[in-house]
Amino acid sequence: MADALDSNTLPQATLTPPRRSRISAIWLIPLLAAAVAIGIAVNRILNEGPTISILFQSAEGVEANKTIIKYKDVKIGQVTAVELHQNYSKVMVTARIDKHAEGLMVEDAKFWVVQPQVTLSGVSGLSTLLSGNYIGFEMGKSSKPQRHFTGLKVAPVIPIDQPGREFELTASDLGSVSVGSPLYFRRLQVGQVMTYQLAPDGNSVSISVFVNAPFDHFVSAQTRFWNASGVDVSLGDGGLDVRTQSLVSLLVGGIAFATPSSAVEPAPATADTTFVLYADRATAMKQPETISRHYVLYFTESLRGLTVGAPVTLFGLPAGEVADVGIDIDPATTEVRGRVEIVAYPERLVSDMHTEQSSSAQAMVQNPEQSHAFFQRLVMDRGLRAQLRSGSLLTGQLFVAFDFFPDAPKAEVDWGPKMPVIPTVPGTVTNLEDKVSDILAKVDKIPFETIGSEVAQTLLALNEAIKDIDKAVNRIDKGVIPELKPAISAVRSAMMSADRVLKNTDATLLGKDAPGQLELRDALQEVSRAARSLRVLTDYLERNPSSLIRGKNGEKP
Amino acid sequence: MAAALTAAQAGLIGCEHCGLLVRAASADEPGHCPRCGSPLESRRRQSIERTWALVIAAAICYIPANLLPVLGTTTLGSTEYDTIMGGVVFLYTSGSWPLALIVLIASVMVPLGKLIALGYLLISVQRRSSSSNRERTRLYRMVEFIGRWSMLDVFVDTFTVALVQLSPLMAVSPGPGVMFFAAVVVLTMIAATTFDPRLIWDAGGEPESRIG
Repeated sequence: MADALDSNTLPQATLTPPRRSRISAIWLIPLLAAAVAIGIAVNRILNEGPTISILFQSAEGVEANKTIIKYKDVKIGQVTAVELHQNYSKVMVTARIDKHAEGLMVEDAKFWVVQPQVTLSGVSGLSTLLSGNYIGFEMGKSSKPQRHFTGLKVAPVIPIDQPGREFELTASDLGSVSVGSPLYFRRLQVGQVMTYQLAPDGNSVSISVFVNAPFDHFVSAQTRFWNASGVDVSLGDGGLDVRTQSLVSLLVGGIAFATPSSAVEPAPATADTTFVLYADRATAMKQPETISRHYVLYFTESLRGLTVGAPVTLFGLPAGEVADVGIDIDPATTEVRGRVEIVAYPERLVSDMHTEQSSSAQAMVQNPEQSHAFFQRLVMDRGLRAQLRSGSLLTGQLFVAFDFFPDAPKAEVDWGPKMPVIPTVPGTVTNLEDKVSDILAKVDKIPFETIGSEVAQTLLALNEAIKDIDKAVNRIDKGVIPELKPAISAVRSAMMSADRVLKNTDATLLGKDAPGQLELRDALQEVSRAARSLRVLTDYLERNPSSLIRGKNGEKP
Repeated sequence: MAAALTAAQAGLIGCEHCGLLVRAASADEPGHCPRCGSPLESRRRQSIERTWALVIAAAICYIPANLLPVLGTTTLGSTEYDTIMGGVVFLYTSGSWPLALIVLIASVMVPLGKLIALGYLLISVQRRSSSSNRERTRLYRMVEFIGRWSMLDVFVDTFTVALVQLSPLMAVSPGPGVMFFAAVVVLTMIAATTFDPRLIWDAGGEPESRIG
């Protein structure tokens, strides 16, 4: 085969100058590829943020490589793994945080799973219905970086960067307040309850509330907070009092606050100031009592209706309140008596005074010696006494009233014991009770039984009278009608004799005296007509004697 | 087959374009084809060097092609990026293992296989290995044949991206990985054409004596 080919007959290749370079340009391709790949890798590594782990109670709706972490709706990371942790009691979510969000991973950053939630105060997380659950993130204030976090069960109510201030409230109980409960100022929602927790000693509940920015200036040191949950219905001596903030607070509870108009220094309170959460508005808005004096009153009457917090009045003006109600034994007489401890706020009375006098009165109130002496004089000379009075007859509420009883037996304030004892007089309530029992006693004395038996006798007599009447009626029926017959015949004979008389008188009457005759004739005609009627009557009566009793029946005579 | 003599040994060169068999102008300068004017090469110039470069470039691109996402699926606001292996795992875990197998073979194994095959050919040629020449030739043909089908993935990807654009509900966007994947395919294809299969027979003197 090779021999058949004459290599010389084959065409000769043409020759061109060689163009050769040492290194082929083809190596640019792998270099380029390597450059791009390395560039991407370097970019990746540089953009690689930290990997963090978050412990959750449950990883509901959290999926590896799908669930993202969002802060202000911007993706800052992605979940890379979800696994059980800590003896299978918790879920550890590992997530890779984007480089740009690395600085956010600080000590007090918060994570929580966002899922749709429908509560009474609103609907949240609706967007997750479409996009799936995501992990919410909230920036912390600290600058200390951290990589291991514990997820929150619920989203924090207030974003950390929301302008405003946080305050602490101390309450005896939580009431219907919950996380997210609204905070009202003049019935305007200005904040929310953030968290609450039981005090370590279990005696109180501390509630953190957040007041949004423009409104936090209205919270001063004198501001009072009270529980505005639900309907506050109080039946006091002022009548029925119903207060509520809003329909939402009825359902989810709420807290209201206000600053009393008397507050002197409305400087905004600093954040984290602790306030007392009062049970209701009335309690909260009471004047702050800087001076309070405790006294003891002893009553021999019933204390039913007297409650702790019942008003103590002087001339009807509020002067204090009942602090304690109880009983003790009088060591002198060994008798049980009602013991009422009151707390008086003399400043209240001072504030009710005339402006010119109030300053001197204030000075006196400040000085215990002076005020004691003044009080003693009032009791001894003017007869100032404490008395129990009824605030409302309907509810039986009692209150303690101070008034002047110049006729009361002499007494004086006993300054001896721990608390001064103020003399008392029996209350009007007892008088009223006495009066009522008087009336009842009188009612008791009415001889209802005698009256009853007399009535019975009268009724008996009446019964017999009715029977008599019955008999009389019977008698009339039987006796009267037969006796009518002779009477009628007597009438007839009378008529006949009258006829005869008329016949006899004819001669005299039918004389010359014509008018008289005419009149007589008329008269006679009348008489004869009458007689005819009488006859008709008598005939009828003969035929129907019963018509005397029953009247005529239908048929004509 | 007793054709041990190659054209190169006979000082002849076959024009690669028009097929004209010519005598080389000289051993160093083969010159140009007198019929079509294309440069004549007894063996493709720098074939091994170029192929190596392209294979290395393809191998470099193969890494990001598998690490970077090839497809971004946006469903109602949330975007998910999937790598090729992620897709394979998803298909396998969701039960359709035949599909997973197809994707695995077409998108992962085949490019990798091409790279390995080309590398093997290059090394064997460089080491002047004279064994299993036919098998190596078959391997080369397979690599060349598969090359044109390797763009299937890229094609599907672009197709999906073009079709699924229901913007608020769902959208599909290409990931950076697909560019690298395409680069791998293109580079291996070029590498396959750059590799001169004639080199396989250059090695050794009597390959047939061994194979028989």
